[in-house]
Amino acid sequence: MDLEQASDANLVVAVGRWHEPALAEAYRRHGGAVHALARRILRSDPPAEEVTQEVFLDLWRNPEKFDAQRGTLRSFLLARTHGKSVDVVRSEEARKRREERTTREMATASYDIDREVWDMTVAEQVKEALGALPDDLRQPIELAYFGGRTYQEVAAMLDQPEGTVKSRIRSGLGRLRVNLIERGIEPAGAGL
Amino acid sequence: MNSVPPSPLSHAEIEELLGVYALDAVDRETAAIVEQHLDECIRCSIEVAEHHEVAGMLANSGGVPSAQVWDGIAGQLGGTSDESWDRLAAKLDGPGTSGPGRAGSGRPGKPPVDGNVVSLDQTRRRSRFVTAGAGLVAAAAAVVAVAFGVQANHLHTQVNALQATPQLSTAERVALAAPGTRRIVLTDPTHPGPATTPASIVLTASGTGFVVNDQRGGLARLPAGRTYQLWAVVGKKTISLGLLGSQPRIVPFSVAGSPGVSVFAITNEVAGGVVASANMAVAVGTVQL
Repeated sequence: MDLEQASDANLVVAVGRWHEPALAEAYRRHGGAVHALARRILRSDPPAEEVTQEVFLDLWRNPEKFDAQRGTLRSFLLARTHGKSVDVVRSEEARKRREERTTREMATASYDIDREVWDMTVAEQVKEALGALPDDLRQPIELAYFGGRTYQEVAAMLDQPEGTVKSRIRSGLGRLRVNLIERGIEPAGAGL
Repeated sequence: MNSVPPSPLSHAEIEELLGVYALDAVDRETAAIVEQHLDECIRCSIEVAEHHEVAGMLANSGGVPSAQVWDGIAGQLGGTSDESWDRLAAKLDGPGTSGPGRAGSGRPGKPPVDGNVVSLDQTRRRSRFVTAGAGLVAAAAAVVAVAFGVQANHLHTQVNALQATPQLSTAERVALAAPGTRRIVLTDPTHPGPATTPASIVLTASGTGFVVNDQRGGLARLPAGRTYQLWAVVGKKTISLGLLGSQPRIVPFSVAGSPGVSVFAITNEVAGGVVASANMAVAVGTVQL
């Protein structure tokens, strides 16, 4: 089996059979995006690396949790990454540690160049699409997704009713999806 | 008895929570209520999956985890129970499949060759990578036939000039710096006089590429209900590489599973795209082998 040519679903099947190279290939494809999201939320490498490891170890231990009918492997891994990162953010102890941290550590290891180019291309488009959203739709998404805030916290921060924040996040995600499709980026097909 | 208590929230109330749920912006109790509803409601499950896909794209920033991250993962790999495999097999292999299991020797089993598991490109670009039939081949032949003035250039002759171009994206710079990357200039075959360059393609050695629209009068923004569509000729087949949208700037695609692309073409189609194009290409470029 040529792992580089295998589908994500096929990789997960192989992971289910303890095929370590399959997990390595999944990491090669999606490890960069997983780490980038964790780092974006946690703003530091050490906890981001811990989350990245946890996400792939979870895939190794519980591959059956990935349901190809519910989306791409990348989407699945990123959703898990986000959940774990938010858990860390919401930990008060971790919050204090983060605030006390003064140095920034830069990751230096290589990441599949092809994957990196793809991610960067998509990232540029996503950044533009996000920037094209009206502020009242963009701000609650950014605060919730990258800030790890609950919608109630976002509502308090923006001094808006909770119902308004819920609606704006939902409609903002919908608008963002349309914007991306107009730019030729299909969210469901974005993950290599 | 495993009876599930009724949800304390109505369908409409849960619908309003789908966006914030997808962003993990709810407490655990609310998340549990939403998840119970998702187990029973396909429509809401689809919406959450779409939100997850969009949210996942927000994370795309080309991160570079250190080598120690994988080392840490590899050092903790170990076996789990047969039950794990059984549940996975039921979901991915279909009924009746009996895999070698994860227990026992711990040696990796031979990955299955499963007719239900599609190839990389089918999965990767399921909605974008449509293999065309004979009619499309004929249509593509017509597209190719009108190509003229096309040219392809190897990276090393272009990279300096390209990297000096102010509007060059970071992704293009990275791609162009990689060995084997090529830039294929697409020209407008219908334009009278000297060839014009509405767009170009940057294609890496491994098959990832992207269409770059020339911002100085390249592919014009299309009216509502129209989209640009990218095609590739591979051998005697023409395949759709996907839709570029109505106002593309830089759009990634992959031909990793289809080496030997000889021609790229872009057509103007109805929104949603077509399986076989009857329209003249608005931009065409040949790939020099």
